[in-house]
Amino acid sequence: MSQFLAMLSPNFLLHHALYGSVVVGFVCPLVGVYFVLRRLVFWGVALPQVSAAGIAFAFMLQGLGLVLSAGGESSEKHVAILGAVVFTLAAIAVLTWLEQRAAGLAEGRVGVLYALAAAASILFVAWNAQGETEMLSLLKGEILTISESDFHWMINVLLTVCASMFLFQREFLLVSYDRDMAVTLGRSVAFWDGLLYLLIGVTISLGVMTVGPLVIFGLLAVPPMIALPWAKGMRSLSILSSLTGGFSAFIGFYFSYRFDLPLGPVIVVALCAVGGLSTLIHLLIPSRTR
Amino acid sequence: MNQSRDALVRFSQASLGYGQRPVLTGVDLALGSGDCLGVLGPNGAGKSTILKTILGLIPPMKGKVERRGSSVGSLRFGYVPQKEKLDAIYPLTGWEVAEMGTYRRFELMQTLRRKTRTEFVSQCLKDCGVQDLADRRYSDLSGGQRQRVLIARALAAEPELLILDEPLAGIDVPTQKALLALFQEFKDRRGLTLLMVSHRLQAERDLFTHIAWVENGRVEYGPSAEMLRSHHISKSFGDES
Repeated sequence: MSQFLAMLSPNFLLHHALYGSVVVGFVCPLVGVYFVLRRLVFWGVALPQVSAAGIAFAFMLQGLGLVLSAGGESSEKHVAILGAVVFTLAAIAVLTWLEQRAAGLAEGRVGVLYALAAAASILFVAWNAQGETEMLSLLKGEILTISESDFHWMINVLLTVCASMFLFQREFLLVSYDRDMAVTLGRSVAFWDGLLYLLIGVTISLGVMTVGPLVIFGLLAVPPMIALPWAKGMRSLSILSSLTGGFSAFIGFYFSYRFDLPLGPVIVVALCAVGGLSTLIHLLIPSRTR
Repeated sequence: MNQSRDALVRFSQASLGYGQRPVLTGVDLALGSGDCLGVLGPNGAGKSTILKTILGLIPPMKGKVERRGSSVGSLRFGYVPQKEKLDAIYPLTGWEVAEMGTYRRFELMQTLRRKTRTEFVSQCLKDCGVQDLADRRYSDLSGGQRQRVLIARALAAEPELLILDEPLAGIDVPTQKALLALFQEFKDRRGLTLLMVSHRLQAERDLFTHIAWVENGRVEYGPSAEMLRSHHISKSFGDES
């Protein structure tokens, strides 16, 4: 109990990690909802891995002295975030382009992308002249060493994503649910798709830097799956998913801190436990009373 | 009326298709205000290609397609797709589906006018006889109920032209009759222009003022009475016509 109270204290040593994980837990499911509804769940596996490859690539370039930054750890992290965002958005653009041309099997394309990104991440780390230890911890998600100003910047960006997902929910829903209808109503499907993908790319990139690719996939896919049977409407799906993600991240952090376990896997286990409990309750409650 | 200058939609020697592949060539037809056009023909003949071109989903390959006398046009469509095209995984209520018809423009102030919008969407659901389904999950509704909600959504777009893609497919006979009565009411009392795609001609024939017959890459078009006397249409529909 004392450890739980210590976590809530403003002076808690790991407050960056706690707040960062919980905010990522709240925001990731908001974009994950569209992965699930558009039946693109496997994008959620591949894109965080691509994002990790982008981070590894940026660090490799810095290690080789090919990227000029102002110096310092904070500046290196900015370049890493840039690498993650560029790689993720480029991957989304390629997947969308191939999707429109219906070239080959959709799942196959995502599988190839995942394999390529995973292999590239390992190779970029191996070629990094500055050593692998710090690099590997960053790829697993490393928020402890982030500066105060960078931490606030990251939280502000994620909150902007959150606000955008609610503000433009009607547009994102329309282009996801019925593209033909969107065109007949004079809406630009390309623009709203582009904005949605930009928000997805930014969320995944920041999330991977915070908690790592494994947890990001969990937070993209599992909370919307948990919320879907309970939701009565799009807004309730978004809110339920977000609350499930944030709650699971908090619970996961507590157990990780309490039992000195790695944060990422514990959050995923917490998500799955909440999912199991939700399924059980859903099966036990008669549909009339829901 | 349909050949008049104020046609809502006019095809002039248009070739329609996808990419470099033409599906229909030399298409000439005009849809006048208040008309009800039946686009008929066998499966895979190119009926949906005409519909997609009118909606602006694909551009004509050759010739001209004018909407309201202008190549750009500002014609307001109400579109009712085939109900199977919409993914049932979305946890939307009947009201949320109908409300999509009002998503014409991005209006930040729209939240302030929420009450007006709510009343309007409710009225559209009521006009289609499904106001009691507003809070039900769309995916839990029957085929006929879904079709009515989709028609309410199309009405919420305040259309000048209502486009229906196989609206009676997979629906029981009493519901078909009820829907046809609804379309007749839209036409007679609201003066709405209708375009209905169908691969059959049983219950709908009395509704159509004009028919576009699509077969073998060509479109034959004319007033329905004249078209129904055509030998090959009678033959295609057997005793139905």
